[in-house]
Amino acid sequence: MGVAQDKIVVRIDEDLAEIAPGYLENRSKDLEQLPRALVEGNFQVLRTLGHRMKGSGAGYGFDGITEIGRAIEEAAKQEDRAGVEQGIAALASYLSRLEVIYE
Amino acid sequence: MPTPDHILVVDDDPDIRTLVGKLLEKNGFRVSKVADGLGLRQILEKSQPDLIILDLMLPDEDGLVLCRNLRSRSNIPVIILSARGEDMDRIIGLEMGADDYLGKPFHPRELLARVKSVLRRARTLPEETQELDANTTYRFAGWVLDVPTRQLYSPKSKKIFLSGGEFALLRVFLNHPNRVLSRDQLLDFSHGREIEPFDRTIDMQVSRLRRRLGDDPKRPALIKTVRSSGYVLAVRVEQGGDVHGTDDPGSGD
Repeated sequence: MGVAQDKIVVRIDEDLAEIAPGYLENRSKDLEQLPRALVEGNFQVLRTLGHRMKGSGAGYGFDGITEIGRAIEEAAKQEDRAGVEQGIAALASYLSRLEVIYE
Repeated sequence: MPTPDHILVVDDDPDIRTLVGKLLEKNGFRVSKVADGLGLRQILEKSQPDLIILDLMLPDEDGLVLCRNLRSRSNIPVIILSARGEDMDRIIGLEMGADDYLGKPFHPRELLARVKSVLRRARTLPEETQELDANTTYRFAGWVLDVPTRQLYSPKSKKIFLSGGEFALLRVFLNHPNRVLSRDQLLDFSHGREIEPFDRTIDMQVSRLRRRLGDDPKRPALIKTVRSSGYVLAVRVEQGGDVHGTDDPGSGD
């Protein structure tokens, strides 16, 4: 039996309430695109998606996404499949546990 | 009611365009957003933004080249916003004529503060400095600097490219020939525009300007170092005259 993981609570500026949900939706779409690129061995796409997450996450208040993006970009640069898989798993876990509070 | 400043955001990441656009619009700016160099050119054909926020890694063109081209033909302030955040990337970006450089990820409020700061600096220049020599042509040691076109011609009439920072620095020297200028004064006289407020960057800008002028860095004849004091342009400077009267810029690159 698995152990339920804790929620990740992120408090972000209410000014971003209008656009943050769309940003998270786009990361959910990344969760579809990343495994597909990995199967195809398309490390350039993996690198680009990681790079974008790295550059945008913290700006929206999601520092965790920046860190995961950095890990995916680095793994893709090295063509490290296992590293990319870990990054994808980390992103899935982060998004499923995320609770956003606007303040 | 004043017209809102127009900011052009050039970034291939739609999430960044959305974030920056929202931030700026909420703070009273008018915003255009494009994803690449082509979009940038299209906007510039029909309008003149007050400031450009430029990503470096664009799908169709290198942002640094775009920045350099922009600086060579306009005074629109540029802030580079890039995930290439190493010191050398910043230095190269500033040397290519950017007014400021912010690495990704960034705090939205820091970007907003920098936008306001760069706009403020850009507006200070015309009122306090540009009036003095806006239509001037400087002549020194066979060189010609035509301020209106920001064009430098060598003694052999070759066009020499100057970044925004180099142009600002040379203009300050030409305004104060044969006078020792401290690093602080160089900043003050240039009103900080296009020159970063760090001593090391001033030194680098002087070093690069010397190279542009073909000045031997070990024994400079034009811009001399005055130990513990600063720099001096040690040459007779004349103003006025026709750029093309003695030189043939058509032979340049």
